[in-house]
Amino acid sequence: MNRNVLLIIRFVALVLFQVLVVNHIRLGGYVHPYIYVIFILLLPINIPNWQLLLLGFGLGLSIDLFTGTPGLHAGATTLMAFCRPAILRLVSGHQKLENVVEPNLGQQGAIWFLRYTLCMVLVHHFALFFLESFSLHLILQVLLRIAISVPVSVFLIMIILYLFQREKKQESR
Amino acid sequence: MYNLRRFILKHHFVILFILLEVISILLLARSQNFHRNSLVSSTNDVVGTVYKWSSDVGGYFRLGKTNEQLAEENAMLRRQLSVVADTASSTYFHKGDTVYEYIPARVVNNSINQANNYIIINKGKADGIERDMGVVSTEGIVGVVTDVSRHYASVLSLLHSKSFVGVRFKNSQQLASLRWNTNNYRFGMVEDIPTHVELHRGDTVLTSSYSFIFPEDMMVGTVEEPLAATTDALNKSKIRFATDFATLRHVYVIKNLYKPELDSLQAKFEKP
Repeated sequence: MNRNVLLIIRFVALVLFQVLVVNHIRLGGYVHPYIYVIFILLLPINIPNWQLLLLGFGLGLSIDLFTGTPGLHAGATTLMAFCRPAILRLVSGHQKLENVVEPNLGQQGAIWFLRYTLCMVLVHHFALFFLESFSLHLILQVLLRIAISVPVSVFLIMIILYLFQREKKQESR
Repeated sequence: MYNLRRFILKHHFVILFILLEVISILLLARSQNFHRNSLVSSTNDVVGTVYKWSSDVGGYFRLGKTNEQLAEENAMLRRQLSVVADTASSTYFHKGDTVYEYIPARVVNNSINQANNYIIINKGKADGIERDMGVVSTEGIVGVVTDVSRHYASVLSLLHSKSFVGVRFKNSQQLASLRWNTNNYRFGMVEDIPTHVELHRGDTVLTSSYSFIFPEDMMVGTVEEPLAATTDALNKSKIRFATDFATLRHVYVIKNLYKPELDSLQAKFEKP
């Protein structure tokens, strides 16, 4: 399938899954998992920087449309997109990514992917929850939200990636 | 000129990043206002339609509970009707007395776990919904309409850091104000209670008569835990909302038929 069509389908599916299913998960007041960031995690490695930023901004803005919080998710995803090249370098170290097209759970391995996802989700959730409170007087509460939500988000993202990317490997065999 | 272009091309990543972040923060800052007039508003028909599809599917699973609630409300209305029938023969009632009109609507999206929660309902301008109308459920008050599109409206839930409702304690007739800062969708905070007012767990909290948004004596909640003031002279009290926001589905939008009159009267006071 054409890569752009695949990207569009992935974009729409993740946004709808986030706003119609994941946003309704209620486990106490502090758990807010956000899995739509998978879209940015899986963008091609060699994507031009400006496209990366615009896609990040657009993704956040789409979520904002549904949650009625203009600018909130857009700000967080833009920062996350901005940090992606640096995080990729940091996480990979000596491992070369030059011949890799898209990050893939099967190719890069679970440990690499877990570190990558954790760093990206941390950046995203920090920006998101601080922007949401819009002031620092609730700092302990915000930190608690981040501390609880990050592991839940990473866990859900890894499960979703495992389900989808395992299938893809079987197809290529 | 050439140097400028080279500078932009060289640093386009950082420049674009800063530009997008500034846009985000401007949007966010504008949305902090009570009335959202932003371009990026969830009160548009595309978003409303997607939520309606999802709500149509989810609705089937709650039919039993919805039926039960409607039956209970029916029973309550019948009881009230019998009281009205008793007094209707006296001269106090005549046809022009209807002040509030109730417009039934369905919740198509609702959040309870954000710092600022909004509800989207499936009635809009075309159905006579306007800004600043009150929204109630069969159990108690829900919020205030803040933004209207043709077929949908968004409602500022009581679960919003800017929500503010005038309330009254049923026993003592004492007026106070209701806010939300507990981070829990079951409880609200009543503030500005004079210290001489005695509160007990389970006391009923109703809407006050000074609001043009809600009719007088609508159910708000019950006192959960009175909190004595430590520094200033006014007590607070944690209350349990009568409305269950987690399962909210059918609501009524309240139209005050005398609102234009009341507004014009108040405008006269505000600019003498």
